[in-house]
Amino acid sequence: MRRTWVKGLLAGALTAAIMAAVPAAAAKDELVIGINQFPANWHPSIEAMATKAYIEGMTRRPFTVYDADWKLVCMLCTELPSVEKGTAVYETRADGSRGVAVTFTIHPDARWGDGKPVTTRDVLFTWEVGRHPQSGFSNFDLYGRDIVSIDVKDERTFTMHRDKPVCDYAAINDFRLLPEHLERPVFDADPATYRNRSVFETDPTNPGLVAGPYRMTEVASGSHVVLEPNPHWWGQKPAFRRIVVRAVENSAALEANLLAGQVDMVAGEVGLPLNQVLALEKRQGQRFRFLYKQGLIYEHIDLNLDNPVLKDLRVRKALLHAIDREAISRQLFEGRQPVAHNQTNPLDRVHAPGYPTYPFDPAAAGRLLDEAGWTDKRGGIRHNAAGERLQVEIMTTAGDRTRELLQQVMQAQWKQAGIDARIVNEPARVLFGQTLKERRFKAMALFAWISSPENIPRTTLHSSMIPTAANGWAGQNMTGFRDAEMDAVIDKLEYVCEPEPNRLLRTRLQQIYAEQLPALPLFFRSDAYVLPPWLDNLVPTGHQGFSSFWVETWRVK
Amino acid sequence: MTRFLVSRLLQAIVVLLVMSFLVTALIGLMPGDPVDLMLAGNPHATPADAARLRAVYGVDRPPVERYLHWLGGAVQGDFGYSRLFSRPVPEVIGPRLVNTGILLGAAFLLAVALALPLGVAAARRPWSLADDAVNLLCFAGISVPPFWLALLLILLFAVTLQWLPASGMAPVGGGSWVDGLRHAALPVATLAIASVGGYTRYVRSAMLVELRQDYIRTARAKGMTERRVVWRHALRNALIPVVTIMALEFGALFSGALVTETMFAWPGMGKLIYDSIMGNDYNVALVALLLATAMTLLGNLLADVAYAALDPRISFRAEPR
Amino acid sequence: MRGLRRFARHRLAVASAVLLALLTTAVIAAPLVESALGIDPTAIRLLDRFAPPSAEHPLGTDELGRDVLLRLLHGGRVSLAVGVAAALAAGLIGTAVGLVAGYFGGRFDALLMRVTDGFIALPLLPLLIVLAAVDLTRLGVPADVAGAEGASLLRIVVLVALFGWTTVARLVRGATLATKRRDYVRAATALGADSRRIMLAHILPNVAAPAVVATTLTVGNTILLESVLSFLGLGIQPPLPSWGNMLTGAQDLVVSAPMLAVWPGLLIFLTVIAVNLLGDGLQDALDPRAGT
Repeated sequence: MRRTWVKGLLAGALTAAIMAAVPAAAAKDELVIGINQFPANWHPSIEAMATKAYIEGMTRRPFTVYDADWKLVCMLCTELPSVEKGTAVYETRADGSRGVAVTFTIHPDARWGDGKPVTTRDVLFTWEVGRHPQSGFSNFDLYGRDIVSIDVKDERTFTMHRDKPVCDYAAINDFRLLPEHLERPVFDADPATYRNRSVFETDPTNPGLVAGPYRMTEVASGSHVVLEPNPHWWGQKPAFRRIVVRAVENSAALEANLLAGQVDMVAGEVGLPLNQVLALEKRQGQRFRFLYKQGLIYEHIDLNLDNPVLKDLRVRKALLHAIDREAISRQLFEGRQPVAHNQTNPLDRVHAPGYPTYPFDPAAAGRLLDEAGWTDKRGGIRHNAAGERLQVEIMTTAGDRTRELLQQVMQAQWKQAGIDARIVNEPARVLFGQTLKERRFKAMALFAWISSPENIPRTTLHSSMIPTAANGWAGQNMTGFRDAEMDAVIDKLEYVCEPEPNRLLRTRLQQIYAEQLPALPLFFRSDAYVLPPWLDNLVPTGHQGFSSFWVETWRVK
Repeated sequence: MTRFLVSRLLQAIVVLLVMSFLVTALIGLMPGDPVDLMLAGNPHATPADAARLRAVYGVDRPPVERYLHWLGGAVQGDFGYSRLFSRPVPEVIGPRLVNTGILLGAAFLLAVALALPLGVAAARRPWSLADDAVNLLCFAGISVPPFWLALLLILLFAVTLQWLPASGMAPVGGGSWVDGLRHAALPVATLAIASVGGYTRYVRSAMLVELRQDYIRTARAKGMTERRVVWRHALRNALIPVVTIMALEFGALFSGALVTETMFAWPGMGKLIYDSIMGNDYNVALVALLLATAMTLLGNLLADVAYAALDPRISFRAEPR
Repeated sequence: MRGLRRFARHRLAVASAVLLALLTTAVIAAPLVESALGIDPTAIRLLDRFAPPSAEHPLGTDELGRDVLLRLLHGGRVSLAVGVAAALAAGLIGTAVGLVAGYFGGRFDALLMRVTDGFIALPLLPLLIVLAAVDLTRLGVPADVAGAEGASLLRIVVLVALFGWTTVARLVRGATLATKRRDYVRAATALGADSRRIMLAHILPNVAAPAVVATTLTVGNTILLESVLSFLGLGIQPPLPSWGNMLTGAQDLVVSAPMLAVWPGLLIFLTVIAVNLLGDGLQDALDPRAGT
């Protein structure tokens, strides 16, 4: 009897000890960031992954990046090359083809985390690895084709010869520098297995891998990483003694972690869905600060233009007139996610208003459908003279809650207009890996394009970019859009760089897009940030140059 | 006994071989290959780039050839590299195996510790209200959707009461054993609640059978205390079938912790298997699934051995089943 | 009738049977409720999102302004149908295999039982994930069928049937072996009745009990499994509602609109627990040797 009693007491004490050890309130020199996926690997150029890029923003700085105002800025270099300053020169090569030579100078104080200076040797090494056929880089096009050659002037200055005489010659955002002093021996030993033996993978906390304000000091795979200030960082001193990035994949659990105080903030770029944050703000508006930033994730519906129904421009216009995007934005997204009228975001410098738009107008939709021959309404659904039902299939990524809701709302609104939309969804890997890539979708596909500012939509709109079996399904023109003028505009746009002619081409491009409607523009997706009230100066960017690229400017109020 | 073990071992090898081939075939049937996934976000990639990457990752060869190549390496202890993690497969799986082991081991012990007294109490007074209550509790545990249970536990203990952490295995930098226990508490509870019902019912029905046996009556007649009769004599014999069934279930638990691991951000095997399948990480998926199968087979074998060891009436010379 | 009395003694099982009957009736009567309330369950009212319970919407509305009660009833139709269909399929396959294996015995039995062992050794959930992601068109299923709105439903039924039959098969085989040795079966064999007749007329009725119990339990397991697959994004696809995908859809809003997660969760919980208790009661009633 007494033994049981003692056991009970022990158990009780243990429970009390466990329950009582509540962690002390987070000190303000530490920040815990919640993200929605743990990066599988750490090499900057093998396998693109948003969460990896987010963490990399704090540890490693690229040469160039777009800032919060969507302007290109220098990070690892001293200044952007330009034609005016003579650091960018259009050139004609020996074979008569045209290109551009851009000269960069590495920041004089730039150092790797182990104190070794960043030099042009690193640049040459990175290019060598990138263009090696066995290195497995996912952006081989940059290293293998875009960069024709690199001339080294000295330790810090180099000239890069680019393949085409492009206008955005200064942007080398994806050129991710590798530390030659650490990686050279590994790469030279066997290029084919380099990706598995890289120091990024074997020793991810090695200080020599970083060139940014923070360095990783602890990697708990699948759970969290710990970042501490890099003593060799040459820029502004960061505010936090320690940053912990914690991955919680389930969004409900991530929110619970936030409410439980286990994470201080949720990153907007790789965090919670907009709907969930909007609901959270209603309940916890006082406890956190909420930021929403629309950006360059363009949610739209690609229309298969080979579909006999959608071939008719009037039907495409009617489809857009029949849905109330303003109401959806207002009700479903609380106005935080703006309606898109074109594939260019109005915040983009190259946006040119003046193209036609298609507001919610059931009467106009009805007129257009009548004109197109879909006059006979039976059981609420329109039929044409041949007795065919106005039925279209709409696909999206299964499991994406926001898109599934959006899809159901549009389905209901189209039904009002007499259009029968059938929902058929597929997991993302099937939809993108096969159905869209091989243009197997029957009518409509709801998804998003992610681009950088001032993007030229060649891969999605040029007729040479229609994926076919013959070209090995290359290109992203899934709609099958063919327009001679569009092709000409895109071809010119890449090389006509003087402001005024360039602006006219941009204007025309957006006009053709809006007139021809190869896709239905829906929304520009918003990133939703949940921040602690004491965190200041975090500026969302709305594009792939994540806010973490400016982590050293984050401050405690 | 030796002959029995050898024959079971051979059987296990056959099952594993069949399984490895089956998984290869199934993964081959999944849409999109790893290179498609890698290049989906790069508009400038050409078919030549894709072909080059396929060669680099060795996915340009037909599945059968890849399988045989893998098998050749595996026999020599080389399980290849994980495509996703860029690390040798054992290095990826090792830590996850330990994490899952901790989680399942703790949940198993907790469930057994609860199931024994509950099952015995129910069996001592069958058809009483107490029995019904235990019965209801047992089935309640089995019948909850696991992620719903996990979410409720997080909301109650981590968000509302703030007693326990909501996720992770340990605080930053490791932490003491108390921290470890605190982090393990909710995921272990989630798993234990799901399995305690089954165990309790096994204990109950085994005890019901034992309590009706002659030796119990004899023991009672001899004036032994009821406490001693139940806990010393009946339970000891009732444990035989119970242990058998528990051993059988342990293997199944191994891969079933996926939901719990996802909800509590506990980096274990279930999550790894899921990620490797979804990310087309062929080498990891194959080895992890084979490990899971091997665990189940081992559970079966242990069940048989335990049965024989605990019950002298069974010998392996006869039909083992 | 002893069976019925035994069953009636099982208070929880009786309560469960009543609960299940009520649920089934409600679910079948969904169209009636629909017309009584005068609401279209698919109608979307963006101005009426997250409405609290009212006379018009007894359980309020969801994030698209749809009536929660009606959606739960329609979701119940899908969930219960999937559960029952999958369990019946698994039960039929299992009974057939067990019966044949037990009756003919010998090598045939050994082979079938080894296959069953192999199936039991397979890790279920990961394999289901692989199978749920398998591209049906590569298996020769026409794209029209593979992409149809109800395809996800059929897929789950097939998956459960494929993996669920082993338990039934083992139980039925054991019972068949025992029944085969009884005198009346021997007599029938001696009189020259053919195997099919003996199996169906003499053995099947005696092995039905374990098959029925195991099949009942499979119904509950399937409903749970569907919710887990939904959680992983591999379950029944919207717009077709099921309790599993309603629960998964509501979890992101669990803090702000908890009832949307509570209702489907509770219904899954109650249904599964009732099915399990019913199975338990049936076992006691049909198989006098087990239990007391």
